[in-house]
Amino acid sequence: MTEKEDDKPGGMKGIWRGLQQTIYGMAAHDMSRAALRTRASMEHLFILITMGDLLGVPILPPYYSLRLLPYVVPQIATWKRRMLREKDVSDAMF
Amino acid sequence: MNTLWIVVIGIVVIYLAYTQYARRVDRNVIRSDAKRATPAKMYMDGVDFMPTSKNILYGYHFKSIAAAGPIVGPITAANIWGWFPSLLWLVVGVALVGWASDYSAIMVAVRNDGNSLSAISHKLIAPRTRRILFVFIFFYLMLLAGAFVGILAAILSARPDVPFGIIMLALMGLLAGQMMYRWKMDLILTTVITVAVTILAMAVGPWGQTKNEKGGLVQGPVGQAIVSLNSAVDNISGKKPLMSIVDPTGADPRVPVPGADGKRPTTAVYDAATGLVRTLPNYLLWMIFLFVFSYCGANMPIWRFAQPVNYIGFWIMLFTIVLSAVGMFVAPLSGVKDAAGNVIGAFALAPVKSLGFTLAAGKAWQPLWPMLFVTIACGAISGWHALVGSIGTARQLEYETDGLPVGAGSMLGEYSLATLSLTAVSIAGVGGGGGRFAAGVGKLIYAGTFGAIPEVFGTALGFGAFVMIVLTVTQLVFRVMRVTLTEWVGDAIPPVRNMHVSSLISMVLTLALVLTGTWVYLWQMFGASNQLMAALSLLVVTVWLKSEKKNPSYALYPMLFMYFTTIFATLVTARNLYVTIAANPSMGGLPVAGAWAMIVVAVLLVVAALFIGWDGLRAYQRYSGKAAEAKPAVAQARS
Repeated sequence: MTEKEDDKPGGMKGIWRGLQQTIYGMAAHDMSRAALRTRASMEHLFILITMGDLLGVPILPPYYSLRLLPYVVPQIATWKRRMLREKDVSDAMF
Repeated sequence: MNTLWIVVIGIVVIYLAYTQYARRVDRNVIRSDAKRATPAKMYMDGVDFMPTSKNILYGYHFKSIAAAGPIVGPITAANIWGWFPSLLWLVVGVALVGWASDYSAIMVAVRNDGNSLSAISHKLIAPRTRRILFVFIFFYLMLLAGAFVGILAAILSARPDVPFGIIMLALMGLLAGQMMYRWKMDLILTTVITVAVTILAMAVGPWGQTKNEKGGLVQGPVGQAIVSLNSAVDNISGKKPLMSIVDPTGADPRVPVPGADGKRPTTAVYDAATGLVRTLPNYLLWMIFLFVFSYCGANMPIWRFAQPVNYIGFWIMLFTIVLSAVGMFVAPLSGVKDAAGNVIGAFALAPVKSLGFTLAAGKAWQPLWPMLFVTIACGAISGWHALVGSIGTARQLEYETDGLPVGAGSMLGEYSLATLSLTAVSIAGVGGGGGRFAAGVGKLIYAGTFGAIPEVFGTALGFGAFVMIVLTVTQLVFRVMRVTLTEWVGDAIPPVRNMHVSSLISMVLTLALVLTGTWVYLWQMFGASNQLMAALSLLVVTVWLKSEKKNPSYALYPMLFMYFTTIFATLVTARNLYVTIAANPSMGGLPVAGAWAMIVVAVLLVVAALFIGWDGLRAYQRYSGKAAEAKPAVAQARS
């Protein structure tokens, strides 16, 4: 969703790109955020299942946990951030 | 006065406010630094915290803040006081207060690890401020839902050419959700089909309308079908009203516009002799329709209904706004005239209708100060923006320096929308409230398209767009209300955790307000709660600036003005409710009960504001070094 300074076109192209991005922001950015949020919730469930082994609670048989582990590892850092962050009602509103 | 002057004033105000004031505050007080890591970068989780281009974020923030508020507020204010005081407050409000509130809320959150405004107020001011903020949010949502459902039900009941487009919007929303998420169809194709069908349905509503020999409107086939439906429903009670209310301000959409003699005529729903507005069964029918619509929006998966409806509504609104804006520019230059032979670009509404300072005993008071400042909220300043900014936008800011174009820029954009609404109302000259707005939009679209879209369809588009934007917000308000109610009392009353129960409770409370209250009071109470939230947000900013040893003047003085203005406005509204409804011997039953309920809400809001003000003052003194202790609020509460 971001672009490096070098990638930014100038002149009319830049204005056109800016307009496109602004329209996208108005029309569809909240939809893509909602989709990301849904995916993140699914991933949390997924992580919860596989992370059971870490706690010594084998929710899945270890064979399947090990097969799934490579998919889980990249998500752990962001998962921790989301899970441990303090939240209140207003977080649930937007 | 003509529309071109409004365009010129708009451009000058935006330019001066942004370059001469906002940019200086950003540079000299906040000192935004592009090299400083933002929460979006530090805590990136791919969902909430995500660096995003400032253009996208501008669009996102603008869309989140610019909904029905900047349209309904100026319409209502222009009808009560005239266009000049409304324009003046919009200009002064956005230039000195509005942008500062939006921008600062974002920057405070950015400098506080992306924490929400409530979490920051908990830390900086006092723990109880957070709880009070939730009370504000719930009442705010309830009053907003009540005001919106009330005005929409009145429009749907009074205008048979409007409902068909809205029914089709609901169906197209369901179809768009299915096409996008289930059938995985191309987004552009989905957009073209659903938006085109909805616009077509909006145009079909007034199709075939004619005038009889007396000049009265005769509906076309679709409008006639809705008239028959309304009539059949009214026959249930033998066309007798279910109840009657009084609207001392005459702003309820069911109150007819005064005729050439300056007197309001008696209609099926309005008795000119007594001033009573009759609530017929068809009004209830459209209210139930709105609740069903909102229930779907609040409880179905968001991708299934709420989101696609919002998406279609956005395109129609954009289409309407762009054409109207072109019309504002073109109309005075081309000198195009409407069907009645009047120049479209010229203002027809009186600049000042009343200043309202003649305060008569036993009658409603609407003094310019403080009532104008809560009637026009969004477009000048709004507390809602601070909530959205601190939670949604601040966590996506890629660079600190993007905060100004996104926060202040979006607020100045919303001001443009508010001035466009004010212009549409001012050039129309006939009708009232939403009707006057739609008539003005119809004229502007006619001028903007050089006559390609006839005035009657432009007006239908204006009506449809107005109802659509209010309705899309209303369904989301019920969704947020359900979440807030669950979080608030879900632990104490477990059944409320059920989303259907919490939705129904929210709707019953709203229904009670709509049936018993008077529309303008509801709107002004909503405005008051909104502006109190804005004052609270500015208070948090002021205390934060003080704690950082920065000059807080640009937030402090607007905060003081909004704080006292809003408290007085709330008290005046409570007094109006008491005098004109609660203590009125000709009223009884539901309206009186509703008036008392709203008076209680008003008192609660004032008490909550006083608590927040007291805590804020103590926090300010703490950080000024005037008090003995200089501990943060949370630390004090624990010690």
